[in-house]
Amino acid sequence: MEGNRVVATICAIWRQWRLFAWLDFTWITRNLSFFLTYFISDVTRGLSTVAATFLLAERFDGIGPWTTPQILFMLGYATLVRGTEDVFFGYNVAVISRRIGRGQLDHTLVQPRPIWVTLLTEGFTPFSGSTVLLPGVGLLVWAASRLSLPVSPGWLALALVNFAASCAIVLAFSFLWGSLAFWAQRAAEEISSSAMNVMQQLTPFPLDGLGAGWLGGMLTIVPAGFVAWYPCRALLGIDPSPYAVGVTPLAAIAITLLTIGVFQKGMKHYGRVGSQRYLSFGHRR
Amino acid sequence: MIAAQRAPSVHSPGKTLYPYYNARGWELVHRTRAFRQYWKTATMSATAYVGDSPWFPLDYLLRLVRVAVLLSIWRLILTGQGEVSGMTLGSVLTYTLVSEAFAEVLACRTELGFALWDGSITGFFLQPMALVGQAAARTFGRWGFAFGAFSIPLLLLSPLLAVNPLPASPGAAGFFVVSLALSVTIGLAQEFIFLSLIVALDQSPWGIEALRGALTTVLSGALIPLALLPWGIGGVFAWLPYASMASAPLRIYTGTGEALPLIPLQVFWAVALWLVARWLWNANRERLAGYGG
Repeated sequence: MEGNRVVATICAIWRQWRLFAWLDFTWITRNLSFFLTYFISDVTRGLSTVAATFLLAERFDGIGPWTTPQILFMLGYATLVRGTEDVFFGYNVAVISRRIGRGQLDHTLVQPRPIWVTLLTEGFTPFSGSTVLLPGVGLLVWAASRLSLPVSPGWLALALVNFAASCAIVLAFSFLWGSLAFWAQRAAEEISSSAMNVMQQLTPFPLDGLGAGWLGGMLTIVPAGFVAWYPCRALLGIDPSPYAVGVTPLAAIAITLLTIGVFQKGMKHYGRVGSQRYLSFGHRR
Repeated sequence: MIAAQRAPSVHSPGKTLYPYYNARGWELVHRTRAFRQYWKTATMSATAYVGDSPWFPLDYLLRLVRVAVLLSIWRLILTGQGEVSGMTLGSVLTYTLVSEAFAEVLACRTELGFALWDGSITGFFLQPMALVGQAAARTFGRWGFAFGAFSIPLLLLSPLLAVNPLPASPGAAGFFVVSLALSVTIGLAQEFIFLSLIVALDQSPWGIEALRGALTTVLSGALIPLALLPWGIGGVFAWLPYASMASAPLRIYTGTGEALPLIPLQVFWAVALWLVARWLWNANRERLAGYGG
């Protein structure tokens, strides 16, 4: 019985992904001029965020303990995390404070499925969101070809777990701050975008030169260090400790549990007071 | 000139009982009124900052952390290297700190792009003030708030970050002010060029802004001094208008560039870009009605 429910949920998620993939495809290809402008500007935007670090590494033959190919690997990893967020959590799902602050969470609540399924499927944009994902894959492949990585099934599994943990940390951080919008809908409407901005801008830098205080802050208060720097240090062997590969997944579990608690508390508050601030512009032209 | 023509029609010609009523007096009144209008607009923009974006401390926190990270990277790279491409570690640290303190001025963004998107640009046209002046006044207002709330504290805290915030010389400080003013002039011209392109191509400002932001990050020298880029590409980028927006004033401030070739190049770009901006804007202004909002 329980197994049937799981299978049914997986089938529902798959159907929703197919539907949203088709909607995304028709949206991005509705007009050639729009498609070209969108594609070129988004690819350029994605690459420009990591270009500065790459150029520095190229000029100085690495940064601190990182060689240029290792820096490339970290930048590819960071771009891939961002691209994955774009592909799976578009349409303001990752920027959840906008949906809450604008009263659009009601759209989610009236769907005949659990909230988590709606949030997992409604932002699926495999075409418009792939403008950052594809350069990320390219950077990782290029970096891997210049590095002698100890690729084994075990290493690949650890890499996948760390990658999933990095994605979870970015999303959880956005939802954690975004939950404030349950209590302050107008004031906190844009807080998730500020939180995402913090993560995106601080991700492509190696943090080895930071003092202990700053570094502690980058791994706790603003956990941008876990998005690319720390997991890549562990995966590339720059941090020789055997436990290093487990730190990012543990951090992801901690921040996700904290976020679930805060979000559920916010949902209870929302259940009592609702929203008087419905805004219809939850779409893009 | 307009004020001088208007004066006789409003007041009896030939009667100069008070200097207030002659043409020169009217011009003075006109200018004072215009200044007051722009000043009030800037003040409103500055005071609206807290209400419009109450989470601005989070953005300032991001900027503080970003500057700390960038300073740490420069120390990691340049410690013990001496002078690299004419820049010492000290000058690069000052360059990075001042770049962050003046980040909004060097990036030079107005509200016009998004006002065009949501249709609130109509409000700009309804005001009894020039569009460029209004946009500039609102932008200066925002900069004023951010300068007081973030830039000055950052510069005062710089000893804690072990960075010398002072300019290379008093002369460098003077030329920096001139260069910064030219940088803003170039930035405003670019703003109108991109605004015209948004209308001409009938695109949302998100894509064009993203493209512009991406180009600026690499080409302007605000994040990395152009001299420290690999393959000598910095030498090429230095001739582009983006470099005149950020790299030129920062190089003058830190004494890693001479005012004489940098400021004339900025003047050239300011004149050239405003000619292009004016032409593009006039060619596409009518399309604003079709763009909607």
